[in-house]
Amino acid sequence: MKKSYVIKRILYSIFVFGIVMTLNFFIPRIGVEDPAERYYPPQGNMSDIEYEIIKQVTRQQYGFDVSTWQQYLNYLTGLMEGNLGTSFRSGSPAVTDLIVDRLPWTLVLSVSTLLIGLIAGILFGVIAAMKRGRWQDTTLLNASTIMVALPGFFIALILSFYLGFEFEIFPAYTDPNMVSNFDWSLSAIQTVAENAALPVLSMAVGSIIGYAQGTRNAVIAVTNEDFILTAKAKGLKQNTIRYKHTLRNSMLPIVTSLGMSISGLIGGQVVIEQIFNWNGMGTLFLEANNMNDYPLMMGIMLLLSGFTILAILITDLIYVLLDPRVTVGDKR
Amino acid sequence: MKKKLLVLTLLIMVVFVLSACSSQRQNRRPDDNTLYVGSVQTSFPTSFMPWLSREGIAPTIASMLYNTLFSYDEETGLFNPIIGKEWYYVDDDGNPIVTEEGIIDYDRLEAIYGDPSRQYLAVKVIIHDNITWSDGVPLTVEDIYYSFDIGTNHLLSNHAGALAWTSDLRHNYTNGVLTRQGLFTYENGAAQQGYTIAEEDKDTVIYMHVNKVLGSVMPLFSSLLILPKHIWEPVVSPENQLNSASPTEETLYRYQNPVGSGPYVIDTERSGSQQIVLHRRDDYHLKKDDGSPLFNIETVNLILYQEINVAIYALLKGHIDVLDTAVSSNYLRLFEQEEEILISNAPGTFVQTLVLNVNPVNSERNPIRDLLRENEFRKAIALAINQDNLIENVLNGAGIPVSPGLMRASMTEIYNPHADRLPSDHQERLAEANAILDRFVPDKDSAGYRLLDGERVSFNILGHPGEQDVISYLEIQLQKIGIEVNYAAKGSQPETTFLYTSRFDMTLQGVIFSLSNVDIMYRAHFSALGRTSNYGRLVNPELNQKINTMRTTLNLNTKYTLIQEIQPLIADEFYKIPLYTSNVISVARTDRFTGYQVVDGATIFNNATLQNLVRVKEE
Repeated sequence: MKKSYVIKRILYSIFVFGIVMTLNFFIPRIGVEDPAERYYPPQGNMSDIEYEIIKQVTRQQYGFDVSTWQQYLNYLTGLMEGNLGTSFRSGSPAVTDLIVDRLPWTLVLSVSTLLIGLIAGILFGVIAAMKRGRWQDTTLLNASTIMVALPGFFIALILSFYLGFEFEIFPAYTDPNMVSNFDWSLSAIQTVAENAALPVLSMAVGSIIGYAQGTRNAVIAVTNEDFILTAKAKGLKQNTIRYKHTLRNSMLPIVTSLGMSISGLIGGQVVIEQIFNWNGMGTLFLEANNMNDYPLMMGIMLLLSGFTILAILITDLIYVLLDPRVTVGDKR
Repeated sequence: MKKKLLVLTLLIMVVFVLSACSSQRQNRRPDDNTLYVGSVQTSFPTSFMPWLSREGIAPTIASMLYNTLFSYDEETGLFNPIIGKEWYYVDDDGNPIVTEEGIIDYDRLEAIYGDPSRQYLAVKVIIHDNITWSDGVPLTVEDIYYSFDIGTNHLLSNHAGALAWTSDLRHNYTNGVLTRQGLFTYENGAAQQGYTIAEEDKDTVIYMHVNKVLGSVMPLFSSLLILPKHIWEPVVSPENQLNSASPTEETLYRYQNPVGSGPYVIDTERSGSQQIVLHRRDDYHLKKDDGSPLFNIETVNLILYQEINVAIYALLKGHIDVLDTAVSSNYLRLFEQEEEILISNAPGTFVQTLVLNVNPVNSERNPIRDLLRENEFRKAIALAINQDNLIENVLNGAGIPVSPGLMRASMTEIYNPHADRLPSDHQERLAEANAILDRFVPDKDSAGYRLLDGERVSFNILGHPGEQDVISYLEIQLQKIGIEVNYAAKGSQPETTFLYTSRFDMTLQGVIFSLSNVDIMYRAHFSALGRTSNYGRLVNPELNQKINTMRTTLNLNTKYTLIQEIQPLIADEFYKIPLYTSNVISVARTDRFTGYQVVDGATIFNNATLQNLVRVKEE
């Protein structure tokens, strides 16, 4: 891997993150003359004087009583110290604490979904490509057409109603004691597995079909390449051609999708988490939005953006490892 | 090797799925003495300081953990005892101003306090002498003093609600210094003020000075939850406010482990972000006549659901006993088929209105919007609106029409049935509306819409996405008089974006007027300008004068009369046009508990229900 390319990519990512930090600070302030009004929206039964007193104290509490540029500097200083600010919710918890509480639960869902989707998707994709035109392939194509038409929340609701409420195979929604009782014991882990089953399944269905479709198309494309014909002519074993040559060279588009999926790992799935009462990042963001809690929204957005930038950076670097010909921005 | 890896991975996946399937589904309502309540919220609070309770279900929980002085009964117009046992207006010596029957003597009150030089009303409150906080410490008037005192002192507390609730209390701070004392107890200046309190009554008697308005005591008595002084005084300071943005660990502990005087205590061990468990306090001071606990339910387990359909299925499948959330009338048919489901179709208290921008600021005026400045034009719109049709189509019949005076007919003492002066026959109304509009905007385009200087008379109605169906039906109704209306999204900050700045034609607005709030709400909705609910900036000197007189009269009977006189004035403005009052539909299972109480404007999970529920097998 070219060292200069890696340094360039890292510097570029830092630059983008800087822009994101700045936008993240200023965008919530657009259209709001006074951030304190976000904390205490106007109330009909309060006089202007009373409202002004409330806002004045709120500004002091949350550091809105200095100029916007000073607030921006304070925000950057806070970020350097790992401080994402203070949430507007009752008890004024630190944004970082709220995120740290929720992130692991989202990771349980997203990592499980990613692994299941990736492994099963690649497997089904390879099978469909190898059995091109036969029922395995047709099934995958039909399934992907149906999946495009079916929104995720619909699948989640159907699974919750049938597998959860009607047949009681899995919990229809998360056990309210799951988080508070979790202690790393085997039974606690089993409880998490039980409760995660339907949300993971809801998300994995789409993920499996997505990866399978991508793999199928990539494998078919590579199968028609000259070097595969050469390998066959050389009399290499079928499995060697399939796994060493075809599959490896089909991985580029898969890595791209994987990179994009990784960036979505920590964001959570708002609707899926909502349907299954899963206490993750998706619902945290929803709570922040519903409560006008924009320090929390800013914290989550910054984390998501940072993680996305990091995921894209890693994807680009892996790209170079897989295909040394890749040199982005190389002027000839 | 690769095959082995693949097999291993598949094996792990199978084990994962099997382990998830393996365990038997547990009974979701295992405890016979617990009421399982489904609550549709985004999240549950983790802090229970009642004055911080801004989100979701927090106020409901706060009212179970804490108490106000009294509760107000809208039907009788009386205050029911909670912490407070009795109260009186008093003269300068602290003697109650009551008749021989013990009720407020309004004639004497007027005679004593009617003099304009008198600045305030003096009120005496006597509290129960057997109340304890949940940690066992006795509750005294010093707790009342502390709560009201800190509510007015924004150096120590920055709670908007507390400041508003205490705004009629003549007890003021400036920069943390008490500039006017309006609260008096044995230990806090009662004797100096001339109020005699015997030593044996020192824990139960408090005097207050309030603004000379009958409604002054309302928020003080029934809105402000009383805080325990012994819990908060040691930790609250200007540096660490009651609702600090960076609370100390000690303060945070107090937020999360509440000490209240209410009928329930929170089980902090079992409560978390997904459920809240409340246990009945057996030492709660209010009891039934036979000495048994006032609340029948020993334990309430509130379970969070973030999606209404999941919560409804959980109820249907017996995971919970009752939903604390109102449900749409669209679900009525689903519930009607179920034998063990009780549907509460409680009359609502919330009036949905269509507010017209009758007086926009100059910069927001335009020829079409100016039509709304004309009373007759507004009358035509009011005539075209068919409440029965809206109730049938939008609410599936689960609602009632409302008088243009915007007072519910159930408020018998103050409702004026003569406020509605428009014809009841809808064809007649449409004919009258069209006749009026033919005078203002006679020209029509090919689609039948009226034209003003060649431009279609078209208005936007601000609403939330959930209100689009109402607006669609209004579109159909107003089309019949040649006026076009369209939905426009309100957004998350409609007040600052549209309403306070006159940047709207019409908006939907829910209002509640009752005896307990008219003092504040009539002014806010029809009189005050600026950052108030008078979005369309109505100015009507006669109405303003009546509202002011109503607010300031010291005679309750006069007040009732004035409220009745105000209603036709409101109706004749055609400014906030009533659309309907929707019923509050809620549901409960009857297989474990019975005795649910239907309360106006509330879901079936309410205080009366908690007091009356009995186990089915005990019947």
